[in-house]
Amino acid sequence: MPETILEVRELKKWFAVKRSLSQVMQGERTWVKALDGVTFSVEKGEIFGLVGESGCGKTTTGKLIMKLLEPTEGKIVFQGKDATHLKAGELARYRGQVQMIFQDPYASMNPRFRIRDVLMEPLVIHKVGESGAERMAWAEHALEAVRLIPPEEFLERFPHMLSGGQRQRAATARTLMLSPRLIVADEPVSMIDLSTRAEILHTMKGLQKELGLTYLYITHDLSTARYFTNRLAVMYLGKIAEMGVADDVVDGPLHPYTKALIAAVCEPVSGKVGVMKEVPIKGEIPAATNIPPGCRFHPRCLYAQAPCWEEEEPALEEVTPGHLVACRLWKEIASGAARPT
Amino acid sequence: MDRLLEIKDLELHYFTSKGVVRAVDKLSFQLNRGETLGVVGESGCGKTTVATALLNMPTPPGRIVGGEILLDGMNILALSEMETRRKVRWEKISIVFQGAMNCLTPVYTIGRQMMETLQQHREMTKGEAQARIQKYTSLVGLPDHVLKRYPHELSGGMKQRVVIATALFLEPAVVICDEPTTALDVVVQAQIINLLKELKQRLRLSFLFITHDLAIEAEVADRIMVMYAGRAAEIGTNEQIYGVQGPTHPYTQKLLGATPRLHERVEELAFIPGTPPDLVDPPGGCRFHPRCSVAMARCSQDEVPLREIEPEHLVACWRAFHA
Amino acid sequence: MRWTDLKTGLGSFWREFRKVKFGLVGVAFLLLFVVLVIAEPFIIPYSEASTRWRDITYWQDSPKSAQPIWVNWLSPHKRALTQTLTEPTMTEETLGAMTIKTATFDYYFLNAAIPPSDVILHCPMKGAVTFIVSLVRPDGRVIEIAKRPVRSSGLSDARFSADMESKDAAFSFATSVDTSAGAASVHKATVKASDVLFGVAEAGILRNPRPLNGMYQLVMTAYLSSSKDTMGTPYVIVPGRVSGLLGTDEAKRDLWSGVVVGTKWALIIGLLTSFISVTVGVIYGVVCAYYGGWVDNLMQRVFEVFINIPLLPVLIVVSAVLKPNLWFLILVMSVFFWVGPVKTVRSMALQIKEETYIEAARGLGASHGRIIFKHMIPQLIPYSFASMALSVPGAIVFESSISLIGLGDATVVTWGQILRDAVGGGAVLNGLWWWVVPPGLAIAFMGMTFAFVGFAMDAILHPKLRTR
Repeated sequence: MPETILEVRELKKWFAVKRSLSQVMQGERTWVKALDGVTFSVEKGEIFGLVGESGCGKTTTGKLIMKLLEPTEGKIVFQGKDATHLKAGELARYRGQVQMIFQDPYASMNPRFRIRDVLMEPLVIHKVGESGAERMAWAEHALEAVRLIPPEEFLERFPHMLSGGQRQRAATARTLMLSPRLIVADEPVSMIDLSTRAEILHTMKGLQKELGLTYLYITHDLSTARYFTNRLAVMYLGKIAEMGVADDVVDGPLHPYTKALIAAVCEPVSGKVGVMKEVPIKGEIPAATNIPPGCRFHPRCLYAQAPCWEEEEPALEEVTPGHLVACRLWKEIASGAARPT
Repeated sequence: MDRLLEIKDLELHYFTSKGVVRAVDKLSFQLNRGETLGVVGESGCGKTTVATALLNMPTPPGRIVGGEILLDGMNILALSEMETRRKVRWEKISIVFQGAMNCLTPVYTIGRQMMETLQQHREMTKGEAQARIQKYTSLVGLPDHVLKRYPHELSGGMKQRVVIATALFLEPAVVICDEPTTALDVVVQAQIINLLKELKQRLRLSFLFITHDLAIEAEVADRIMVMYAGRAAEIGTNEQIYGVQGPTHPYTQKLLGATPRLHERVEELAFIPGTPPDLVDPPGGCRFHPRCSVAMARCSQDEVPLREIEPEHLVACWRAFHA
Repeated sequence: MRWTDLKTGLGSFWREFRKVKFGLVGVAFLLLFVVLVIAEPFIIPYSEASTRWRDITYWQDSPKSAQPIWVNWLSPHKRALTQTLTEPTMTEETLGAMTIKTATFDYYFLNAAIPPSDVILHCPMKGAVTFIVSLVRPDGRVIEIAKRPVRSSGLSDARFSADMESKDAAFSFATSVDTSAGAASVHKATVKASDVLFGVAEAGILRNPRPLNGMYQLVMTAYLSSSKDTMGTPYVIVPGRVSGLLGTDEAKRDLWSGVVVGTKWALIIGLLTSFISVTVGVIYGVVCAYYGGWVDNLMQRVFEVFINIPLLPVLIVVSAVLKPNLWFLILVMSVFFWVGPVKTVRSMALQIKEETYIEAARGLGASHGRIIFKHMIPQLIPYSFASMALSVPGAIVFESSISLIGLGDATVVTWGQILRDAVGGGAVLNGLWWWVVPPGLAIAFMGMTFAFVGFAMDAILHPKLRTR
């Protein structure tokens, strides 16, 4: 019976922008709506991807789940318990269960700490371990798990003495120290060389099976997301446009935005040099302070019709079991009844 | 093929306190008129260094210690700094730097910045300069009002178009693009790639397209040079590298195997264990041999030259020669 | 930080530091100062100079306002050196109950153009003894220097100083000899006794005395009236016009001792003030940056108040109310110096705060204190050291200025105190350059030392001030 480890309901994060005097006078306020109502759930042991371009809200979602930010509205439910707002003691326990791997492997570790200090820090903060020797042993264990061998040698090094790939593996080892349930990985391989990326992902997948971990994988790279994740959600301007099993979404996209994204991605195959890429999208991403009315994608959508901007924003609809899309016209587009303009 | 740019045995070394880093070590290749040559490789392979070498402006403590760069037969390395500045840089060869869009001065308008660059090179009246700038901004798909804007008012894609326009308005023969789409979103990336293709056709430009992303290179480059540890591992046409046959050099094969596909279900992506070599003291023989799964005894002993195995397809691999 | 980490950190820092030339100059000087402080007990002739600086009895046998000894090597007119005469020829006579003891000392005034500044005779005695001390000159004339009874119940030291006691005798001798015009107008007070005592007896002795070289004898005759009166062996000190490595001041204090002792205080004041103020300032700046919001705002306002208070008027008021004490002075200076690094540290800390590893630490659940002290402040330690080095000269000069205007701690011998005495003692007016220049130069050199060290550290650390 699949167990839901994380549930996010109508999660919103709005940032206040400094007001001009006239706005203050008129009682108005401008909000950067980084995340504008997102709902999804992650099963235990799966890899769930959040995919989108910059400004779509995927990183904000990650930070909200990591409790580095407080939500404006909505609920976060972790392992069946409400984790939206936590007090100090509960927060500490939560932190032990949810860990993060950051995008920049060098920047995410204090350059003055040796790897052993980096790894032992979570133990020290959470007062785990009876002695320094015990903590050291756990650190060695974690390095072995991520295949940084011999661990004694790597423990003594500084971050700058490791390659990018090794650093990211050390960062992964750090997340394991408190035996978490959920790991949020924010673009973990985008700053790693191509030839090492698969190794990291391979290690992460191995750890998942070995330790029963669940991953929330945040990325802008649809190709890697398809390879690595089980299910994914495509985000646009703070909301989910389409969500489902990764293969289903990529092979049979329903949302015009997803189609555009897929069309825009480059493939390493021959014969495309003389061909112009056809990307079925127009315009540019609007500012998050000025979200378009109705369906927020409509100004860029080639299929948009009057209901799209006149009526309220379409909710996520289940099309086939597990495959959801937030588009008023998905049937018409899929059948070919609606034509791009 | 009309050889526009010919590089022969180029050597660029960085003289650091930790030793001499042989970033580009006896590199030879050419760029034909009207084509896009892709230079692909991972961090530390020397691809950005090649770009700085082509403009004869190595980043200190780097110095060009050997080789020739022939532009239409003329060795630009033999020119003085003044001549290079007046005749070569931006005039014949221009560059879109990595992250250039973030290097636009925030305190001047776009128009002012472009004007300044233009006037540095050409004696033009203000009217002529304006006309030239407007011609190129519209060529890259930017509306005129952009010239009155400040960089922070523009999106990433628009800024990159400004940079491209600036690289073009002196009508050079060669445009070097160093990771021009890396910092951009996927959709904008596709638009910029389309723009570059269009410009290449309309203005009959020759591009040197440097990137680490094999997928982008496939859609952009006519010929591709794969670099590893300061040397060329393989040079071939788009079909030879990305076609059904597959590339010849083990490194290229692995690199391609490590590139994820969107439209196929890949079971296991390839990876290469180990790390790129230390360029102060590189491994003997073929530089890739310590990480190569099919290395032979000869690979660790003899330096392998770049040799043509079929028309337009050069490889530096002992196994490939013996096959 | 572990010891090995510290060692490697220092090692690489030293390698970088070595490349900056003026930094090495600074370090060389710093070592010199440290050596001076350590060697202090061995190199100063007056070991109690520090504690007995204001005790005139300690210095009584030194010449007053004597120039440094090496002046003699540089000038054609040699000045007499300080000499101690210890083995007199003793004779004894008895006249009934009275004992008459005579001690004769030979003093050679040769190879010098300028006579000693004084002749001092010490004689341990007990009871009631009458002393007559006279000087026998090479030209045969005798001048009586002192004649008086000394009474003491216990063992005491009878001291006779020609400079103080023989003024009248010398003056009358001079006037009897000097028949030059204008001699009559010379006032007794302006005449230095030893110039006359050791001068050629001729016209012009009052205004232009010429030295009379030769062998002099100092004869002390002591009259002990009863057997209860005793007398030990006397000794004579002839203070020259030159004394010590840096001369003496008007209170006869050896300035070399003073300056060396002052080194220790300068280092203490400088280092302590800079350490306290920079530590406080750095922590303040980091806390401002870390918390942001209203905390930052409030702390910035407090900072602005402090930075606008002029230190000197406050100090004047404080000194007027409370007795100035060196430690209190250091405290007050620290209270005002801490504002120095705050702004820079705050902007550096703001940058560090944005680093991913800080976010990672927060994600791990690190407390505010841990992030501030374990993650942020260590990045600022290099800057802190440079800042400390650069604020040392300020503190030293400040203390010197305070002492100069009389608000300092007079019980402690600092260079500033010496300068104060110099100004008060009319050193500049009287041309006593050796009183003013050495302490002034010392202040300047120490300031320069720390400035060099600080700038060199800055030069190395500057590119790394940005945290990556």
